[in-house]
Amino acid sequence: MIPKFLTAGPSRRTFLKTAGAAAASLGLPRMALAAGEPIKIGFLAPLTGAVAAWGKPGLDGCEIWAERVNAAGGIQLADGAHPIEFVSYDNEYDPAKARTGATKLIREDGVKFIMMLGGDTWPGVQPVADRTGMLFSTLLPSDLSPETTTLVAPAEVHPIYNVTGVEWLAENKPDLKTAVMCAQDDALGLPSVATYLAAFEAAGIEMLDEPLLFDPATTDFAPVVTRLMAKNPQIICLDTCYSDYVHPICEQLFQQGFKGQIISCTADFYDQMIEKTSKDFMEGFVFQFPDFDDPALNSDAINFQDPNGFYAEYNKRHPGQWGAVSWEYASIMDMWKAAAEKAGSAEPDAVMTAMKDGRGAHAFGDADWWGKDLFGIDNALVGDWPVVAIENGKAVIKEFRSIPDWYNRHGDLMVKHMQAYGQMWDQRG
Amino acid sequence: MLELLAQTGLNAVYAASYISLVAVGLVLIFGVMGVVNFAHGELFMAGAYAIVALYADMNVPFFIAVAVGMAFVGCLGLLMEWALFRPLKDNPLGGLVASIGFLMILQSLAVMGFGVRMEHIPPVTQEVVRFTDKVGLPVARLYVIVAAIVFLSALWYFLKRTRFGWALRASAQDPEAAALQGISITQTARIAMFIGAALAGVAGALTAPLVSVNPHMGHSVIVTAFIVIIVGGVGSLEGAILASIAYAFVHTFVTTFWDGVLADIVGLSLMLIVLIVKPTGLFGSADRA
Repeated sequence: MIPKFLTAGPSRRTFLKTAGAAAASLGLPRMALAAGEPIKIGFLAPLTGAVAAWGKPGLDGCEIWAERVNAAGGIQLADGAHPIEFVSYDNEYDPAKARTGATKLIREDGVKFIMMLGGDTWPGVQPVADRTGMLFSTLLPSDLSPETTTLVAPAEVHPIYNVTGVEWLAENKPDLKTAVMCAQDDALGLPSVATYLAAFEAAGIEMLDEPLLFDPATTDFAPVVTRLMAKNPQIICLDTCYSDYVHPICEQLFQQGFKGQIISCTADFYDQMIEKTSKDFMEGFVFQFPDFDDPALNSDAINFQDPNGFYAEYNKRHPGQWGAVSWEYASIMDMWKAAAEKAGSAEPDAVMTAMKDGRGAHAFGDADWWGKDLFGIDNALVGDWPVVAIENGKAVIKEFRSIPDWYNRHGDLMVKHMQAYGQMWDQRG
Repeated sequence: MLELLAQTGLNAVYAASYISLVAVGLVLIFGVMGVVNFAHGELFMAGAYAIVALYADMNVPFFIAVAVGMAFVGCLGLLMEWALFRPLKDNPLGGLVASIGFLMILQSLAVMGFGVRMEHIPPVTQEVVRFTDKVGLPVARLYVIVAAIVFLSALWYFLKRTRFGWALRASAQDPEAAALQGISITQTARIAMFIGAALAGVAGALTAPLVSVNPHMGHSVIVTAFIVIIVGGVGSLEGAILASIAYAFVHTFVTTFWDGVLADIVGLSLMLIVLIVKPTGLFGSADRA
């Protein structure tokens, strides 16, 4: 072993990372928790600014989750029961602020796990993760790479699950054969564009035009919609547009007289979209995020604890604020809690080992750790994902479909389009 | 193709309308007071939030809410003149820095008062003026176009045909000479600030049901307004209006026929070309007008 090590030699990066982690471990001795002492969890996400809608509702959901868990006795570790306490830091979707926040959460607050939205903020945090070995989670698996060994994506495999909506549409509305798409030109929009292109190609749906990319600072969507409608598509795909875009785009589609099918990753606050357009116009709108009062979530296969009760409590406290991420961070906490209890410890490395030992209990059913092809590391939890449609003014789960099944049949298309958009892990800067 | 061109033209007319309302207000403030008001986008935002508070939350009729919002934002302008720009009138950079501070205060107040999320505003009307099956102008957008024509015409009349207007123009051209003629520089600054802010306010109020209202919505508006006034010529009202129309048409047509991201690049390139060819802008002069 020693001669081999000397011959091959560790890379400079490996040496520095190892040395850094060791130094950090020595510099920050593990603090033994006294029985009953709260375990702190970091919530490092945008709580203000344009992307706050994918941070703040998640924190609101986590607080409900913590109250429920603490009322039931907290988390059971080898040294006894501990309550959970969330410590939040608003990174404003800014990498530098995210880095400051991660350092503060680890050094000053002594958190054991940090949840993030990820995306543009992850590059700011990755050096901190490398240095400290802290366990992080992201909602955006496009943050994953072979280097991100302490980062997991256990809630959603954005944007890969979008394939389920297109596949469902192709099977249930086979007369729809043409589509166009628009997206904001950013780290969230582009991988989703590649995913939808792969899904449409797999489904035999023709793209009538190149995807129309717009600046995230766009406020007037009339020109975008005019362009989308110019080729008379049967389907208009809104990609993973933020709700600040989905609403005005839908309103413009309504006003400019679109009569076809709309598919989107999200439809947050869809009741407001219905008010701005009409119930008829929004009928059949397909997206990927259910309301948690949906009876389909009461199936035994679902791992999220009491989804209907969680939804009712959330809406009681934050009326009209339910969105795509309201449940996601809480579902990550379900998995983290199960792993910590299995390990008997809240220490990041112990939890990580326990979490990845076997299949994972994803909110929508048991799932596998996956991602080597697309992300270079199997740190994304992938299984079934719901296809949701608006029916009579209400979101309804139409079906759960398997993402791995789709990928096994059409993975080459996914890789092709991801490469074309520079979204493979080895292409990202 | 003709229908596509017509619809794109209508989209561009709407964009030109609200951009010109904002840009003319910005130019007026700069012309009379010599201050680059970085908080102008937030005055636009304040107008939009007036609609959220009055129309969406309190069910005040839309046009009354717009009028109140316009007056409210005009008063915010008076507050800025009194609290920020007047004490710093001898410090050219001071006013700019103070306006950045005021921008942050307004954003924070919006966050504290309404939260960080996009606000929902019920549609004022869903009627669309249809020219053909594929060419139409939503009536809510028509309101913005009509408002721009009315308010900018009224401003033109005020500046060219009234004594206050002459005083304003005289103050803009040469404050010292205007003061020697008995014109109150403080009074003209107040009037300019009120009108400039109110124009941003009415633009924000009228477009509020058509865009995503959030505390950071002023950012993209102020960037566009700066491009427009640099192209038109800093200090030139006519230049601001013509540059708004040119920018809106170029941006809208490039977005529709090519790409939204490319449209931004073209808009900025337009500004760079003008700066290289005519550094004072299309209608600007070496001295502020």
